[in-house]
Amino acid sequence: MIRRSIFPIFFALLCAATPVRAAEEGHEAPVAAVEHDAHATPAHGEAAGADEHGAAAAEHHAEGGHHALPLDAPRLSDSLPINNSMIMVWLAVGVIVLFARIATKKMSLVPQGVQNFAEWAVESLYDFLSSLMGKHLATRTFWFFGTIFFFILVNNYMGLIPGVGTVGWKDAHGHMVAPLLRGANADINMTAAMAFTFAILWFYWAITENGIKGFIAHIFAPKGTFTGVMAAMMIPIFLFVGVLEVISIMIRPVALTFRLLGNIYGGEQTLEALMGLVPEKLAFLPALPFCFMELLVGFVQALVFTLLCAIFLKLICDHGDHDHAEEGHH
Amino acid sequence: MMTIILAATEQAGPLETIQKTFGLSAPFFIAQVINFFLVIFVLKKFAFGPIQKMLEERRGRIAEGEAKLKQIEQQLADSERNTAAAIAKANEDAARLINEAKTSAAALSEQKAQEAIATAQQILAKAEAAALAERAAIKAELKQEFGRLVTATTAQVTGKVLTSDDQSRINQEALASVEA
Repeated sequence: MIRRSIFPIFFALLCAATPVRAAEEGHEAPVAAVEHDAHATPAHGEAAGADEHGAAAAEHHAEGGHHALPLDAPRLSDSLPINNSMIMVWLAVGVIVLFARIATKKMSLVPQGVQNFAEWAVESLYDFLSSLMGKHLATRTFWFFGTIFFFILVNNYMGLIPGVGTVGWKDAHGHMVAPLLRGANADINMTAAMAFTFAILWFYWAITENGIKGFIAHIFAPKGTFTGVMAAMMIPIFLFVGVLEVISIMIRPVALTFRLLGNIYGGEQTLEALMGLVPEKLAFLPALPFCFMELLVGFVQALVFTLLCAIFLKLICDHGDHDHAEEGHH
Repeated sequence: MMTIILAATEQAGPLETIQKTFGLSAPFFIAQVINFFLVIFVLKKFAFGPIQKMLEERRGRIAEGEAKLKQIEQQLADSERNTAAAIAKANEDAARLINEAKTSAAALSEQKAQEAIATAQQILAKAEAAALAERAAIKAELKQEFGRLVTATTAQVTGKVLTSDDQSRINQEALASVEA
């Protein structure tokens, strides 16, 4: 069973390694990869960005520095918007689903082995979210938060597997032009997709929990009981606070996007830079201790993203009386 | 890196800078959103669905078990209470029966004693009556024998034949003298 589950991962890595050999042997690289080659002539508009990136990378090499991970994920297909971080997304989903299938293949009421671990992971996260948002919200939204947490976590860890970012299409000088795989969370499109999806779901959940009137009142209405002149003074203040809250709400998905991207991209960049400090055959040595730190960072970032989303949701859905009553029930 | 960002900022606005610097683009963003929704669907169907179903089932079983345990505890308490009540009732009944038996035995004993006394008295009375009857019979027989002897003796002494009146008179005189 274990051999069967590990085999597809090795197979994927083997497939990923094939283009490198092809490039090294002087075969023609795939069309999309050629677009990113610094020395190739741009064929159309789409290649221009990649060419700029290739030029920047070449310039960097010319300055004598180590190859830096580009901020933008290289495009791998001419016709479809597919980049190397998407390949990683699919692999990560494959790994999670494979693990889940193994864990849930022979489910029993008394869990053992992989099923036990999977149930422990899911139940721990569920209990954690329940303690944070309350049982009702946690049950309603677990499909999203569970996906977010495990998806980010597995992607972050898969980004640390040797070969990711270093296996791909190289130019004539042996410099990496278009890696086949890239940590999914090191691509702004992925982190933004998650953050803005959350933002939309966040509005949906908030409105369905409080109603449109309650949602607007939650943002703009004065908190507390004021009468007379005090009420007249407080209304504009809370309106202003509401405007600030709206700005804060609009900024939150942007902050989520860049926080995750910055941490993961920064980690990968650090590893790249550290590997460039020593000869290529010893490149793994300075990076090795930081890989352990990145394991921690990967977990913390998955937790932080999930935690922040959960807190934002809790804050917007928070309507004091009901919660106290709910706590009273429990 | 900073050079690239600064150069890009000088040439374009902030959003354009972000787009150029970080590679943010609408087609890739939409593709990743679609990807992410697919991820959510796939994980919900194949990962969280079965595991959460099993967790719910186990929670249900545990709750059911706890409810059954409470029910059993309740039944046990009821049973203990019923047993205690039954034992108390049995003790009470046994005590009552023993008392009744004791009372009954005493009454029966008394009755039997009285019956025995009565029977003994009857036997005694019968015996006395029989003894008296026997005594009277013996006495009559003795009188008769004594009379006959006296008569015979008198006849032999006097040498005459006694009439029945004589015999009767001699007998009565003899008996009167004996009884005196």
